[in-house]
Amino acid sequence: MQASSRILRAAVKRTRPLGARQNHSRPQDPSSSTSTTHFGFRTVPEESKESLVRGVFDSVASSYDVMNDAMSLGVHRLWKDNFISLLRPGSKGPIRVIDVAGGTGDIALRVLDFAREKYADRETSVDVVDINGEMLKEGHRRFKKTMYHDTPQVAFQEANAQAMPEDRFPSNTYDLYTIAFGIRNVTSIKDALKEAHRVLKPGGTFACLEFNKVTNPVLGQIYDQYSFSVIPLLGTILAGDRESYQYLVESIRRFPSQPEFARLISEAGFATGGNFEGDGGAWRDLWGGIACIHMGVKV
Amino acid sequence: MSLRSQILQASFPLIKQHGFTRDALSRAVLSLPEPRTEPLPEPAVSALFGEGDTARRVLIDAWLDEGRARMRTGEGTTVAEALKGRLRYNEPVLGYLSEAFALLASPRSGIPPLDVRPAILHAGGVADEACYAAGIDTIGPSWYTKRATLAAIYTAAELHQIGSPGTADEFLDSLLDSASSLRGVCSDSQLFAMYVVKSWASLIKSSGAFL
Repeated sequence: MQASSRILRAAVKRTRPLGARQNHSRPQDPSSSTSTTHFGFRTVPEESKESLVRGVFDSVASSYDVMNDAMSLGVHRLWKDNFISLLRPGSKGPIRVIDVAGGTGDIALRVLDFAREKYADRETSVDVVDINGEMLKEGHRRFKKTMYHDTPQVAFQEANAQAMPEDRFPSNTYDLYTIAFGIRNVTSIKDALKEAHRVLKPGGTFACLEFNKVTNPVLGQIYDQYSFSVIPLLGTILAGDRESYQYLVESIRRFPSQPEFARLISEAGFATGGNFEGDGGAWRDLWGGIACIHMGVKV
Repeated sequence: MSLRSQILQASFPLIKQHGFTRDALSRAVLSLPEPRTEPLPEPAVSALFGEGDTARRVLIDAWLDEGRARMRTGEGTTVAEALKGRLRYNEPVLGYLSEAFALLASPRSGIPPLDVRPAILHAGGVADEACYAAGIDTIGPSWYTKRATLAAIYTAAELHQIGSPGTADEFLDSLLDSASSLRGVCSDSQLFAMYVVKSWASLIKSSGAFL
């Protein structure tokens, strides 16, 4: 508990006014809860996680893209392209997409570009949702440089992934729900999945891209060395912040394994592929499981 | 049962109308215990069962599994009855069966040009279920020879059924009879060969050649 209090103070101390990115978590309950959750490798009270993770993202927000490049050696761009190619937005006509934790808009931009370039589809639209207004501003700024700015094809909405307001996000609305490198930062993955299930239309697809467990033991050893030695060092060099990058590495290790996460998706009410990796399976590993795409269908 | 399995189960009755297609999978949700109003969209079929022909392979494999599972309910029957029961299961979808087997035999990567493993596994599985249903509990090499023989007979009968559905049962019976005769001939030949060898050994021994 002492350790978590120290981190909490450190997180608050690190808070910056700009580029603040919050964790998607349930709204604060005034009555304090005794249930705990994980924050990296540490166990903390559930109500503390939001502020702790917020501290981390406050710290790295200004170099968010650099952070992703550093953690994946730039490969996250290929993974995101792969993610969108798999979903093929626009292939069967215009669809409504919700991209959660997508503040910077890189997934939304890829969705719209893919639909336009491959299928001449200019009707597919994306609602970009993030709990952090500053990240949304960053995404909005990025979209101003594109043809989609000020069109019905894109909208930015500030909301919590675990409790999206019914009036702004009615049930059975979207054809595709995407969340990329965001779900491991929510306090309750189950609640976020439940909301995803609610807002999707019957027949809609849930798709999640996230860092996951490396399945090859040799690659796993190399990856562990890189994660725990190089990434925190990169954090020190690129952002002057070792602790935050350490948390990001730890949070990846704490994220459920591929089959466990598939089970959570299934428990939320989604139909999933077979309990195996690959085409027709519930998940598809990228680069030996460093990242992974999970999909589910609201039947 | 998982939702995916429920959809697969619900798609079996649709095969006779839509074939082993993604369309059958898509429409299966309309006949679930809690039926939906719209067929599954294409991206959803891909997410659950795989891209392109992978989804069709999943449907064919599930349908073949179901056929073997139904043989298990017929315990206490003869091998011929078990195999004929399996041929009955084919009847509603006979028109699509050759295409389904062709798809299973098509390699996913182009190498080898013809993949016979699915056909061997299918025939072997049917033979094994028939032996189980008939209570045949052989051990040792005869376990393999019995199943290999029945697998070959069933494959021939199934191929015959695709071309001439009306005479499949008679063809199966004739093959089983022939196999039984052949087995008798083989057994007699083996006995005769042993007799000849022993006779020659006795002759040589009595001639005093090795004294």
